[in-house]
Amino acid sequence: MYTQMFRNFIRSGAAIIAVLFILTAGFASLVIGKRYLAKQQEVIAQTAVHQQQHISKHVEYFNKETGLLLYYLKFSLVNAPRPLSGLSIGQRDVNPSVRSVNIRNLENQQYDTDLSNPSNLLLGNLDLGFVMIYLFPLIIIIFTYNIFSEETEGGTWNMIRIQAVSPLKLLWHKLLHRAVVVYSLAVVLLLSAIIILQVPLNITLLAVVCLLVLYLLFWFSLSYWIVSWRKSSGFNAICMLAAWILLTILTPTFVNSYISNAYPVPEALQTVIKQRQGYHEKWDMDKSVTMEKFYAHYPQFRKYQLKGEEFKWLWYYAMQQIGDDDAAQYSKALEEKLRKREEISARIGMALPVLHTQLSLNDLAGSGMKDHLLFQDSVRHFHEKMRLRFYPEIFEERPVSSIDWSSFTVEYFTAPAGIRWVTLLLPLIVICTLLSGLAGYNLYRFRQE
Amino acid sequence: MRPRIIKIIAFQQWKISFRNKAVPVLTLVIGLMLIMAAFSGWKIYKDQTTIRTKYSQQVREQWLNNPDKHPHRMAHYGYLVFRSKHPLSFFDFGMESFTGTSVFLEAHRQNSVNFSEAGFSTGILRFGELHIAMILQLLLPLLIFFLGFNAISAEREGNTLKVLLCQGISWPELLMGKTLGITAVTLVLYLPVILATILLWLLLSGFNISADDAIRLILLLITYLLYFMICALAAVMVSALSRTSKASLIALTGIWITLMIVLPRAVQALGAHQYPTPSRLAFETAVEEDLVKAGDSHNPNDPHYAAIKDSLLRTYKVDSVQQLPFNYGGFIMAEGERISADIYKKHQYDLIRTYESQNNFARYAAFADPYIAVKNFSMALAGTGFASYTDFQDQVEDFRYKLAQRMNRLQMDLISNDKHGSQHISHEHWAEMPDFRYTFRKTGAIFRHEALSIAAMLCWTAVLLILLFTITKKFRAL
Repeated sequence: MYTQMFRNFIRSGAAIIAVLFILTAGFASLVIGKRYLAKQQEVIAQTAVHQQQHISKHVEYFNKETGLLLYYLKFSLVNAPRPLSGLSIGQRDVNPSVRSVNIRNLENQQYDTDLSNPSNLLLGNLDLGFVMIYLFPLIIIIFTYNIFSEETEGGTWNMIRIQAVSPLKLLWHKLLHRAVVVYSLAVVLLLSAIIILQVPLNITLLAVVCLLVLYLLFWFSLSYWIVSWRKSSGFNAICMLAAWILLTILTPTFVNSYISNAYPVPEALQTVIKQRQGYHEKWDMDKSVTMEKFYAHYPQFRKYQLKGEEFKWLWYYAMQQIGDDDAAQYSKALEEKLRKREEISARIGMALPVLHTQLSLNDLAGSGMKDHLLFQDSVRHFHEKMRLRFYPEIFEERPVSSIDWSSFTVEYFTAPAGIRWVTLLLPLIVICTLLSGLAGYNLYRFRQE
Repeated sequence: MRPRIIKIIAFQQWKISFRNKAVPVLTLVIGLMLIMAAFSGWKIYKDQTTIRTKYSQQVREQWLNNPDKHPHRMAHYGYLVFRSKHPLSFFDFGMESFTGTSVFLEAHRQNSVNFSEAGFSTGILRFGELHIAMILQLLLPLLIFFLGFNAISAEREGNTLKVLLCQGISWPELLMGKTLGITAVTLVLYLPVILATILLWLLLSGFNISADDAIRLILLLITYLLYFMICALAAVMVSALSRTSKASLIALTGIWITLMIVLPRAVQALGAHQYPTPSRLAFETAVEEDLVKAGDSHNPNDPHYAAIKDSLLRTYKVDSVQQLPFNYGGFIMAEGERISADIYKKHQYDLIRTYESQNNFARYAAFADPYIAVKNFSMALAGTGFASYTDFQDQVEDFRYKLAQRMNRLQMDLISNDKHGSQHISHEHWAEMPDFRYTFRKTGAIFRHEALSIAAMLCWTAVLLILLFTITKKFRAL
């Protein structure tokens, strides 16, 4: 009998349309993810080639002064996208994956953005994350809103009651059939994603799978709970849709509005103003002011002293350095503010499965804010490293030819791995258990009647 | 069509709507959201404008306070410019959160506009933003569909449809009456929105309003009213075409999800897929390559600049550049700036055309999806659309170019060719350069740019009205 029921279900028009719809959207999203990854790879490859050409060209032009050459030379740090980010593009289209910096002022280079069409950003990416987070719940709703009520409304309920099977068992089986179809679809899409995007089989992928399994389970639990009220099909459908709109559209906009109002970032603008003034005003000041500040920052360079009135690169780079130092307080505050925003969103997300899933997915794919902040931090270290590498050469006025320029290739950033399983999965487990428990209680009482 | 009959039906529909207990609740919820959205829009406008004005003034003061120096130092000291928000941006945030807010302007270099809200976002922003336009575009149609899904089908199910039609009421009258009745219900929400919008707009623009702004506002308000009527008419028609109320509700929900959630994203993705755009690196490399072809001022043996030098020496009949009556370095930099700005402009123009080709998929999709039409037109009117984004960049680049050339001119005129001569000019020259003022586009320009959206809205109205009189001939009462 259950097999027959299952056959009836998957042959129904609604089921076929829903499956086709999800598969179309799912495969389209994989094509988009693939294209996105390919473009990023291309950019990274170009960066590597470009850096080499750029360095050799400039070394040829400016072969007299190392200080002047390093005014121009740019070195790149790459935050290569993980294959998983093809599945959840997240903030990767807003934040750049490559930073190319010269050893001058960092604050003036740290926030440059990549080129992108704001219309694309506004409408958002159609990635697999979108399909999973927005569209899968819709088919769960279509599949389950009337599993109970169709029997009472279709007049088959009494027939079931007089048969030997337990009505609750029947309900369970119907729910199970739908779950099989939904999870099969998810598995098909995920397997395709693994093949198409060449996602490595590792612990992060396992975390993504667990997250998505629980996310879909959340929607099943929610509809199980709503169905357990034993209201009409129409009522169930409206309730579930209202929940969908509330969770996927309304609450995130409220949270976003709250966060951007509660944590504004005027520090950003302050940083650029301070940096620019901090550096430029030094041109009009006594050189010793700049140099004293510079020696205070780097005591090891005190041995290099300015002599005479002529222009020295030592003074120039000291001025550049002070620009960064003057802005440091604000750029630190900016970073703190963004970390705070990140923390608060994650905390609010705990109570909101949709938000939690999206943010966690971004985190796992390395396409969220956390990853970007780590990258920015690493750019800071990279920049400092290059500075310290070249400062002595410039200050000692060593010839350009004394340095092996071909050794400066593109460097790569890798975010530290580490999955916090409890914060990742527990919020969803708690909500699922709660909803199923409530539903079970409702149905238990119903059996007692 | 008899106005009296339509009025009666509309009034009847109004009464039926409020008999449903869910309607006042929904209206209240959406109303509360509108209040929050208005407050948030107002606060963001206020805060951002205060911050940006403050820093703009600071930048200006710092610029003026520079001591005597070489003008080329000033060209590199440069200027910081902050995007100004249009007073109507509180109504529709558009794509402003995705476009940067500040840009550093200096000689020889076009920097990116940095610090967008999206860059500061944890990713939640990508779910959408809470603003008045979003509620009117997304949620009011939902309310309208909820009000209209059983407008006809319930009459049919209750066997009252026969009675109505027997009394000589025509189908177009019936559908029109229902549509107007539903629209009237939305006015419960929309009228306060109109009042609040006008009030906030007056407050935010400091009661200092132009005719052009007033036209924008009126157009904006009319657009949404038209949009609601299109939605209501569509809902009533679907109800008339559906066998049961349940089928009608399912159809309308499906339409809502397809048109408001899936299609806009899908067509934009298609556009982006069809027209790939360069990364910043590829863009800058292409600009650089063209620049090297045109003449590289950094290369001491560049033929272009060598030719300029020769012709200058010949024209002024002197043996060396030091003897020229103006500063040679300034002249060369002015030439370099002209060439590089032209090349940049050409590439930037191509880039924006490619973006527009991407966007055109969505623009044409507006003929299938009135939501897209309203969305585009609304943000264009609120000064937060794509054209405002490119317009800001153009004005900024124009300002940057003038700044650089003004400094080059000063160098040519006032800086000595002799390295031991005067290398500084008086700080009084700094005030000669005006401050950056962003001027918003005129409504006429918006019309030209949004012609497709307007056409799509009118097309939808026309098609639905034609359907009202044609397709209804085939409708059945049972």
